Amino acid sequence: MTIKYSDKVIEHFQHPHNLGKLENADVEATEGSAACGDIVTVYLKVNPENHKITDIKFQSYGCASNIATGSIITDLAKGRTLEQAKKITWKQAADELGGLPPIKMHCSVLAVDTLHSAIKQYEKKYLGKVFDEHLNKKNIEEKLKSIIYPKVGLDIITLRMVKYVKLDENNDVLIEMTIDDEYKYSVFEHITNQLKNSFPEINKIKIVAV
Amino acid sequence: MNQIKSDKIYLDNCKTSRTDPVVLEAMKPYFLQKYWYPGPFTSYGTEISEDIEKATQIVAESIGAKPEEIVFTSGGTDSNNIGIKGTAYANQDNGKHLITTIVSHPSVLAIFLDLEESGFDVSYISADKDGFIDLEELKNEIREDTTLVAITHINHILGTIQEVKKIREILDSANHKIYLFTDSCEAYTKIPVDVNELGMDLMSVSGHKFNGPPGIGFLYCRKGIKIKPIQHGVARFHKLKPGGINIPSIIGLAKAVEISFSNFDKQYNKYRKLQNRLIYSIVNNIPKVQLNGPRGHKRNPANVNFSFSAVEGEAIMMMLDMQNIIVATGSGCSSQSLEPNYVMLQTGHTHEQANSSIRFTFSRFTTEQDIDKTVLVLTDIIRELRRRSPLWKE
Repeated sequence: MTIKYSDKVIEHFQHPHNLGKLENADVEATEGSAACGDIVTVYLKVNPENHKITDIKFQSYGCASNIATGSIITDLAKGRTLEQAKKITWKQAADELGGLPPIKMHCSVLAVDTLHSAIKQYEKKYLGKVFDEHLNKKNIEEKLKSIIYPKVGLDIITLRMVKYVKLDENNDVLIEMTIDDEYKYSVFEHITNQLKNSFPEINKIKIVAV
Repeated sequence: MNQIKSDKIYLDNCKTSRTDPVVLEAMKPYFLQKYWYPGPFTSYGTEISEDIEKATQIVAESIGAKPEEIVFTSGGTDSNNIGIKGTAYANQDNGKHLITTIVSHPSVLAIFLDLEESGFDVSYISADKDGFIDLEELKNEIREDTTLVAITHINHILGTIQEVKKIREILDSANHKIYLFTDSCEAYTKIPVDVNELGMDLMSVSGHKFNGPPGIGFLYCRKGIKIKPIQHGVARFHKLKPGGINIPSIIGLAKAVEISFSNFDKQYNKYRKLQNRLIYSIVNNIPKVQLNGPRGHKRNPANVNFSFSAVEGEAIMMMLDMQNIIVATGSGCSSQSLEPNYVMLQTGHTHEQANSSIRFTFSRFTTEQDIDKTVLVLTDIIRELRRRSPLWKE
């Protein structure tokens, strides 16, 4: 099967917009891991009066689509209010790029997650907002919404692939899910990295294919 | 005649290589004029018979074998299946224990997975960081019911040349017969391969890896070994590979063999020079790089593999592609399963090193100009991608 990038992905990969460090950024957020092969950092400068994103930049360690999605989310967010930017979805980012192959959809999720994470940082730091970021079952399930099943390009929660999540008193996590193909280990690895990055207090993560 | 102008620099010859135009010319008459089958007595039948005999002789001589020990197949995977399964099944009364390695080619590993499902017991020998298999472990894994050891002669990722002769000695020190199969698809025409000198009983070779036609290869099968066919049909050429005879490709394969061995030493030295040129100019021009696999004479002279710190391999590959330079990467992002290359991981490289790895492999058509242009372009690409990377620290 032919897997191709759209012309727009190639264009953003070759000439990414808003690339680099933002020296006077109010906040920055980094998501992803070198082990999984993709990391995005987003820098934000926000107008404290109207909460509009006045400047945004990104850096990326990753493949062509990772760089392209990093670029497109900065275009989508620039000049928007925080509330507007929060509504940007990974589906929207992928659509703006003329679509992404299902196997690359996780790049779009990572870029948008990083944007949302930077907004959250800003809200915590400057607006005094408090978020429930504790290690609990609900938040684990929330994080699993960012894990894409590469075969179809949708997340494992929407696809109802996760059958059981358990967090015990030792902070050990058990996840049971249906998956039995060549993507199994890459999905397991993405889940492990995502949860460990989000909740450093997790002791052990066990994922079982059922 | 054999130089075709191309705007591409092709450095992925380990995956497949361009058919030599001389090879293609040699094949043409067998499509258009001499398209009939070999057979006895008739002028046309015996003419083809003799042509095939001549081709078989050329192939056999190139590895020090006898013509009857050559089985033409459709390529590496076909040869691996016929050789490994055929030997495992034919000898299962003597034992159902087989040995391979964790760094064997995926086509070899897939066969062993299937054999495990069919009730065979398989041991997987580990390898060190340079890709050399652990010979002590091999010694210890040999059991009374071991019938076959299968290795990949030159590792397709790291370029590691396994010590086949030493492996043969280890197998010979057991007090029963153990067959040695080598997948020599990367080794053949790159390093000297003499089946009597090295001692393999079975060996697979693929034509399209050395500027021969695609869809043809051969299996060397030492006379007297116990092997049974795993494919069935009319045995026109050899009982191990029944069915139609791919005559044009056999002729083309023999031509590619003839060309490769007509100036083997000169070409070997040219590969070494290209390899050194590429390694030294990458090291001298690009900071924070790591050569993956062994250095010196224990490495395939036509293979170079580097990891580039803080950048991802698919992005490098895509940018090179945009400048008409074709390479391969071990990055998970470019694989169908999203997993980084297993050889890199199994030999103790980190995910980051695997994800940032680029493999360059040469053929007889690779030139010094190709290497110089590649490094020039690559240096700019790595600088640009590092500028984009949050992991890069000056």
